[in-house]
Amino acid sequence: MRKTHLLFGTALCALATQGYAQDAMACKGTLPALNVIAQGMPAVTALDAHLSEFNDKWGTEVKITMLGENERRAKARLDASTGAGSYQVVYIDEANLAEYVSADWIYPLADVVPESYDLADFRTDLSNVATVDGVQYFAPFVGGGDVMMYRKDLLEAKGIAVPTTLDELVAAVKALNDPEGGVYGWSARGQRGSGMNVWRWTPFFRAEGGEWLDGDMPAFNSAAGVKATEVYMDMMQSSPPGVATFNWSDSVEAFRGGQVAILIESDVFGPWMEDPEKSSIVGKVGYAPPPDPLPSAGWSHGWAVSKSGAAEDCAKTIAGDFVGWATSKEMEQNRLAAGIASDIGRVSTLQSDGFKALVPQEYIDALLDTGPKTSLLIMASPVWPEIGDTLGLTLEELFAGTRDDVQAALDEAAFFAEESLMRVK
Amino acid sequence: MTRKRFVILSLVPAIGLLATLALVSIAGAVWFALMNRTLRSPDYDFVGAYNFLRLLRDHRFFNALEISAIWELVTVTGTLVVAVLLAVLIYETVKKPLWRNLICFAFLVPVLLPRVAAAFIWRFLYSPSLGAINYLLGLVGIGPVEFLADPSLALISVAIVDIWQWGLFFTVILLKLMETLPKDPVEAAKLDNARTWEIHAYITLPMLKGPLISLALVKAVESLRSFDLIFVMTGGGPGTATETLDLYAYQMGINMGGRISYASAMSILLLIVTTVVFTIIWKAGKKWAN
Repeated sequence: MRKTHLLFGTALCALATQGYAQDAMACKGTLPALNVIAQGMPAVTALDAHLSEFNDKWGTEVKITMLGENERRAKARLDASTGAGSYQVVYIDEANLAEYVSADWIYPLADVVPESYDLADFRTDLSNVATVDGVQYFAPFVGGGDVMMYRKDLLEAKGIAVPTTLDELVAAVKALNDPEGGVYGWSARGQRGSGMNVWRWTPFFRAEGGEWLDGDMPAFNSAAGVKATEVYMDMMQSSPPGVATFNWSDSVEAFRGGQVAILIESDVFGPWMEDPEKSSIVGKVGYAPPPDPLPSAGWSHGWAVSKSGAAEDCAKTIAGDFVGWATSKEMEQNRLAAGIASDIGRVSTLQSDGFKALVPQEYIDALLDTGPKTSLLIMASPVWPEIGDTLGLTLEELFAGTRDDVQAALDEAAFFAEESLMRVK
Repeated sequence: MTRKRFVILSLVPAIGLLATLALVSIAGAVWFALMNRTLRSPDYDFVGAYNFLRLLRDHRFFNALEISAIWELVTVTGTLVVAVLLAVLIYETVKKPLWRNLICFAFLVPVLLPRVAAAFIWRFLYSPSLGAINYLLGLVGIGPVEFLADPSLALISVAIVDIWQWGLFFTVILLKLMETLPKDPVEAAKLDNARTWEIHAYITLPMLKGPLISLALVKAVESLRSFDLIFVMTGGGPGTATETLDLYAYQMGINMGGRISYASAMSILLLIVTTVVFTIIWKAGKKWAN
């Protein structure tokens, strides 16, 4: 009897899937172009080699508009908020998810991506960032937390142990700083932006016990905020010239170019250091969790389907299938085959031999050790981009020396945040 | 058909189209400026002059106004000075047409470069650790200089790129204009033993007064639209050291909280200020030329 039920259930599922496939394929050729807005992460650029496969399947042409992070956020927001709907697929990240969900601009993932793409296989840490009130909204293809990367050769030469506390880190950075020898102890993001300098400053703020809000009021101008800023600025003294306006790329390239001894950055950059074509420090880098009490800043980027861009059923179907296809297990294996180990969104890929072959075991160990320290550290609010950007500007002014009163600067950013929070209420 | 009627019939469609495009966008901006519209929410209310009054209390707005004024002054003056000096130098030292044409061709290349491409190239050249300029400075024991991260240098560093693009282009225009000037006054001055710089200061350049004023106005309008150059090179930073009004309006309206009404109020004020200032400059220029 149970066997009959099982067979019946399986047949029903198969029929339903076949029915979906047949219904869906009726959409072939109905959408001349599938417009996608994105930023140039390796997982996005690697799609180029496979787009013809998707284009043939749906009789469409995928057009990917590639922009920098801040520009991508601005343009996608403008497109969704005005209802222009130029893009069917949008690139979402941890900083703007709350805004998109509260404004009802995107579909829940399960409503648009076919089950056959195995949504349960996405990494839990990334899916958590993509989820609001128990509903997942985007399909993550990259993300994670922080990792401390250090030059084993430089630390060894000076007899410095790998720092395990923030105090040890500050001391090591100062000891390793040797501008005359062309090596700086540290590098950091200085350029303004909620996803730029604020992102790297936040772990320092949290390590000091800082909280974003006290009730409904902004509280990042607390003693913890001031102390975190002072420590951050102190470490910037041991950084390459121009660090006050460094973005993540400047910082990572300075490290990869052999100019920096210790760097805490998003763990996704670890494999970048092992690329012999672009890195001058292959084999010289050690990986470890950020020293205590620094937490690790959790983040995730992925694809979602825009409600205004894909209002029609067929557009929704094709856009949903693109999201599933672009983040599928097969696509991740394709990336590994092309030597890209930085953008991993699925558990099955992390466990695959292909991944283990591309990165050092030390890096995998550091990832595993950092996991428990990783969480979303930014303010989970629809007005976060606005508050974060204002705070970022204030921090950049302090880093560049156009103002020097840390407390007054943070008070001003908090005052601005009050108004933003009032509006969201 | 009378001549007057022909002129009116020819002009009305074009002027009508231009006026419609301009008026619709200005009316839209005024409408937004009187609301509290944000990009995040479809709901908004009428707030009267609140956005304009808030601007008057916004020190960042006044900073942007000041940066815009400095930017205009530095880029327009710099471009004209570079163009005049180089045009005179080439006019006096390079006599062969072939060499002159080759130089003109080379001078046209920077302005043909897309602004964003030029900005990226110079951003890299200015890099304190990887840039060629700092490498050369290092050879003579200077630096590294933080061209784009030092608040006191950032604006002038970006302005140099603007002057590099437009100054060389204007040099070509001025050189070609100088070649078309009548030779007699110059010959007469030479017979009176006038020195080279005197000939240009008192004869050639005054004869080019009209074109110079036009070039200055063209550059002034062009300088108002330098958003892409500044955005790529500094993003308005460090801090607000290079944040011009259009950049601040963008940050407020699009990039930051999507305060589209506040940004619209800023744009309206910018429109009024530039119209008034340009009218005054235009009238003064015409008076001077006459």
